[in-house]
Order: sequence, then structure tokens, then C-alpha cells
Amino acid sequence: MKAPNSTGSTLVNYWQRGVPIYREPLITPTLIFFLALAAIGLSLALVRFFSPLGPFSGMNDAYAWGIWKTFNVMTLTALGSGPLAIGIAAWVFNRTKLHVVMRTALLSGFLFYATGLVALGFDVGRPWNFWNILLPWRWNVESAMFEISICMPVYCALFLAFENVPMVLERIYYSSGDSIQADLLRWAPGLRRIYPFMITGAYVLPIMHQSSLGGLLLLAGDKINPLWQTPCLPLLYLLAAGLCGLGFVTFLLLIACLRYSRPLDLGVLDELGNLLSWMCFVFLAVRFADLTWRGQLGSAFAFDKMSVIFLAEAALILIPAIALRNRSVRETPRRLLNMATMACAGGLWFRFVPTTIAFMPAPLARYFPAFPEVLMTLGYIALGIAAFGVGVKYFAVLPGEINDWNRMFTLTRQRRQAVQSKGETSWHVSP
Amino acid sequence: MSTGINRRQLLLGIVGAGGALVSSAAAEEHPANPVAPPDAVSMLYDNTLCTGCRACMTACSETNGLPPDTVSGVPFESTLAAGVWDVPADLNAETKNIIKLYREPNSSAFAFVKRQCMHCLDPACVAGCPFGALKKNDWGVVTWNSSQCIGCRYCEVACPFDVPKFQWDKWNPKIVKCEFCFDQRLKQSKEPACTAVCPTGAVIFGKRADLMAKAKGRIAAVPGKYFEDRVYGEHEAGGTQVLYLSSVAFEKIGLPKLGSTSLGHYATKVTSVLYKWLSGPILLAAVLGALIKRNWNHHEAERPEREEHTGLRDQL
Repeated sequence: MKAPNSTGSTLVNYWQRGVPIYREPLITPTLIFFLALAAIGLSLALVRFFSPLGPFSGMNDAYAWGIWKTFNVMTLTALGSGPLAIGIAAWVFNRTKLHVVMRTALLSGFLFYATGLVALGFDVGRPWNFWNILLPWRWNVESAMFEISICMPVYCALFLAFENVPMVLERIYYSSGDSIQADLLRWAPGLRRIYPFMITGAYVLPIMHQSSLGGLLLLAGDKINPLWQTPCLPLLYLLAAGLCGLGFVTFLLLIACLRYSRPLDLGVLDELGNLLSWMCFVFLAVRFADLTWRGQLGSAFAFDKMSVIFLAEAALILIPAIALRNRSVRETPRRLLNMATMACAGGLWFRFVPTTIAFMPAPLARYFPAFPEVLMTLGYIALGIAAFGVGVKYFAVLPGEINDWNRMFTLTRQRRQAVQSKGETSWHVSP
Repeated sequence: MSTGINRRQLLLGIVGAGGALVSSAAAEEHPANPVAPPDAVSMLYDNTLCTGCRACMTACSETNGLPPDTVSGVPFESTLAAGVWDVPADLNAETKNIIKLYREPNSSAFAFVKRQCMHCLDPACVAGCPFGALKKNDWGVVTWNSSQCIGCRYCEVACPFDVPKFQWDKWNPKIVKCEFCFDQRLKQSKEPACTAVCPTGAVIFGKRADLMAKAKGRIAAVPGKYFEDRVYGEHEAGGTQVLYLSSVAFEKIGLPKLGSTSLGHYATKVTSVLYKWLSGPILLAAVLGALIKRNWNHHEAERPEREEHTGLRDQL
């Protein structure tokens, strides 16, 4: 941790803007490891495209959905809901402190969604029939599956991609010549004009499809254990997305800043921890009100297998909810990291369990993911991690200090020239 | 005492008529208790008449061009017999119709059951199918259209009877399930192959209303002969077009215990209101948009000062 700066203020903001990681080589052993894992998964996915599903997965007619859908899509996009949760906090509820961590949320969220959609593309048996999406009279608008198959790709490819465009344009701006810079400056006002409308769409759409992911499970009816099968599933899935979104961005910021030796901004982290705690309480309130209303509290505390699975979920969310009410926990990085990890685990556990463990279609039916299935799931995740690792070095994603931003340009000759032409290196915020 | 209508009754009558008008104007796509159309075709299976000859299975496979399943029903200890007989263990991608034997534990009592698609009045598979590959066709038959199916297998997750099967071993997989011999026979005004071939009349074909009356007649003729003196499929999951009479408990022969509300109604009762004409999302967008615009304007108003202070362009 750095000492407060000479202004003497106790509210020092160490995170002032996104700054690329510029002191590290782009290619590292870690990156190669994740790229290799991604290559294995994607090669298998390519082979799977020209092969039946059977040999690639442990799925069967009773458990017709495997981990590609239930984990990569239905569970992991909760972690990718940071742009939704933090975006709403920052832009709707005017928590302006959080603007600086938006890019971390946006890039990670985009990668969770994009890899989830890749997983979905290789999961469906007849992907070439997706062209039916162009024929509105064939749409089954009452189906949650339809809502997801139209809403999720549109959100990822249009709204989430748009939100990630500024950091790409910024990189182009600072690494190109005057004529391109002039073009970019001409486009900037237009981009800013549509920005508030695009982010409105970027919050409405995920609210729709994150709740629809829970809505998917309603049709499964009695196949899902009554501790999880409830008309409130769409709302709970949405709340779990908010919870996981806040938790994961906190987790990611702490991990990435540790990995790349970035100073932390406890003011922003405190805000994230505070919101996360309230989100956990809201989730638990709805969860328990629903169980009480449906008369399932008895089986929730029966301490049989399903009850223990439920109680683990409740504990994983309740502990961080209570602990994070304490300011010293929120402002101690290690404890905040533990609590954020726990809350994410609880949210993911809630999202995953009703799709697989509490989903009991027939007494003798069994499902366990096959080896290629697991490799493909890991491959998609590794692709996301590798892309994030490259992204933080290419683009101004991770929050840092303005000093850091200025120092960055003294290290790279090409960048220095570009910036010198703007005369921006002269603006030093003196420490 | 006056026998005329008093004011209270009149008022209730008006409210009731108005309510009926409103509810019929906004015809619900998935009502809680769907009503069968008058021309709904049906199948009645009575396991007290079934001898387990499996003639219906052969007829079904022949009519639908299904290959024999010579593997799945062969017990492990007699794998040498595999590849010889058509012995499916259950409904699967090669089997749209099956006769199974249920034996009472520690007793000589037994019963048969015929399994195939139930052709629900409000099928969960149709409610979930994203691009309408599965649909309620003429005479209430649930059919599958290959060109509209993306292979998401939501139908398999949704079906409470575990009927739709997916071709896991095909590159161009199809959803396989009984379609009442829709193309092969119904369209030529012929009854399905299984009912046509049944030698004992254990499974018969007819209009749903007629078969329901016939089933209730059989129950009334010999009370106590049939389990719970009721017809399975009259109310299950909102009602089905395949009806069952059984001498043993329905659950024992693999017919699940289900509520009388259709799953489609359960799954869409809230969302169908929220998403009506996209009113919910539009309202949400209006509220969020107004707040975002206010905060955005504030952000933009402060931007020049911020940019001048830091000497750097604002980051979005």
C-alpha cells in the first residue's frame, strides 16, 4: 500500500483511470498455459462440430443438458454480470466512484458472455437452424429459451461490445498518427450522443435474459427438488447475477492488482463490498421468504442431502453478507477477497445446483460430464482468461493512477511520439 | 320472497360477464386448465386388456421407418444375444412406442404399460420450443418440424413424461417421439398403426371426448377394477390426449404423479404479463433511461473541468 499523498487528504483516490499494464511482457508462461488449454478445448469443439454429440459428452435423454449449458452459460454468465450490476450502481444510482472499475467489469463480462455463447453454439445439435431467428412468425415468444437465444447474443454482440469499444478506440488513438486521431476525435461526439441510450439497453437486456435463465427451469417442474423449484426462480437468478457480478469484479480487481502490483483503492473496494453485502441480504431475504411462503422451511433444515446442499449455499452467502457490514473487513484486502470469493461461490452454487444436482428427471438417470466435455468447458474458460490477460496489457482496463498513465508513455517510443503530438505528457499531477 | 333477480345478483352477473369478455378477449396462450378442441384425436390404453404381444411396437417401427434397437434392452449377462432381436429397454431414439412389463415385488401380479407421447393439451415441450419446431398440429397432435429445430433439447428437459428423445449418435440429430402417425396415416384418414394393429383392443383410437366417455363407462361398469377409479390423462399436467386405465397404481407403471395445472401455465403466468407487448421491458427502459440520462448529463457537464484538471481525455 502507498502512503496518502501530499495533499494530506484521507480520501486519496488511487484509482483515477484505467491504465494498461505496460511493464510486463505480453507473452508469459501463464498466458501460454491458458492458450494451450484453450487450443485443446477449441480443437475438440471443432471436431465436435463434425461429429455427433454422444461421444463428446456424458449427456443422455434424461440429463439432456450438460455443463456447457448448465455451467458455461447458466452459471458463469452470473460472474459476467458485473457490467449489469456495477453499471446500474454507477449510472442509475449515481455511485460515481465505481466508474473507474467499469472497464474491468466490461471486459470480463464480455468474455464470460462470448465464451458462453461459443459453448452454446457447440452444444446445440442443429446450430445451422439458427437462421430461424430471422423469421419472426416462427418465434415462440412465450418461451424462455427463445428469449435467451435472441437476447443474449444481441446483448453480447451489440450492447456489451459497444461498451467495450471506447477502450479499443482509445488504444488506437494513442498509438496512431495525426490523421487517424483527427478522425477519432470527429467520431467521439457521436459515440457520446448514443452512449446513454446504449447503456440503457445494456441494462434492460441482461435483466431480461438473466431472469429468463431461471425461467428456463420452471418448465422442468417436479423434476427439480422443491427447495429450488419455485415461481421466484427468475427473480432469484437475476439477484444471484447481481451478487456474482459485484463479487466477481471485486475478486478480479484484487487478484489482478496483486498479480500486476497495482496499488489498491480502498474507497472503491469499500463501496463494492458494501453493495455486495446488501445484495447478499436481498438475495437471502427473497430466498427465505419464498421458502417460507411455499412451506419448504422444514425440508430446508431437514439436514438430509438436499438440505445440506441448500444450507451450504445459504451459509456461503450469509457469511459475507454479515462480515461485509464491518468496515474493517471491507477495507482489509485479504478479508475482502475471502468474502467476495465466498459470495461468488454461493451465487454460483445456487445457479448450478437446480440444473444438475437438484435436477432429478428419473430415478435411475445419471449424469457426469465426459472427459472431452470437461476439456471443452475448461477450454472456453481458459480462452476468456487468456483474452483478459492480453486485454489488460493492450487496453486501459485495470484502474490505476494518472501518474502511472503518464509514466507509461515514457517507456514506449512509439507511444511517446503519439502522445507528444498531443502534448499530454506535460500534465503531471505532482505527487 | 321474490324469485326475481336482486340487485346484488345483477351486479355480480355484470361483473362476471365483463370478466369473461375481458378474459376471452385476451385469450391466454397457456391457460391453467386447457380445454381439448372438439376434434382432438385420442388413444385409450387399458392394461387389463393388454396381453403384451408387442404387435403395436412392430407396427410403429414399420410405419415410422425406425431401425430395430437390438442393444439397449439386452441384459449384460447375455450380451451374446445383442444384435439379434428388437429389444428396446425404454423409449429411445429408435423407439417411439413401447410395451413394458411391471411385476409386483414378492407377488405373481403383473401389469403392462404402453408408453408413447401423451400429446398434452398444453404440452411443456411446445411451450419451451424456441422456434416452434414442436407444435400442436391438426387434431391436437404434437408434431416436430426438422427445419425449425436448433437441437437445444429443452423439450427433453421440459417433458414431464420423459418422451422426446434425441439422436445422440447422429451428426444431424432429430428429436424422436410419437407423432400419432400424423403424416403416415392420420392425414390419409387412417388410425395410428398401433391402435389399428392391436388384437385385443387394449389400445383404441377415437375422439378424446368419446374415449373419455368410454373409459368412464368401463370404470362405472366394474367399480374398483381400475386404480382409483379414474382415467389417467384427464387432468394430469392440464390434461393429455392419451388416456390410461390401469389395474395397478399409475406411478408403479411409470406414469408420474402430476398436478392438474399445465406446466406451460406455471412457467409463463408471470412472464406473459410482464412481456405483453414488451410493456415490461419498455417501462423498465424508460425508468432506467431517465435516470441514466440525468446522471449522464451531469457527468458530461463536469467533463471539461475534469479533463482540464487531469489533462487527459475522459474514459468511458
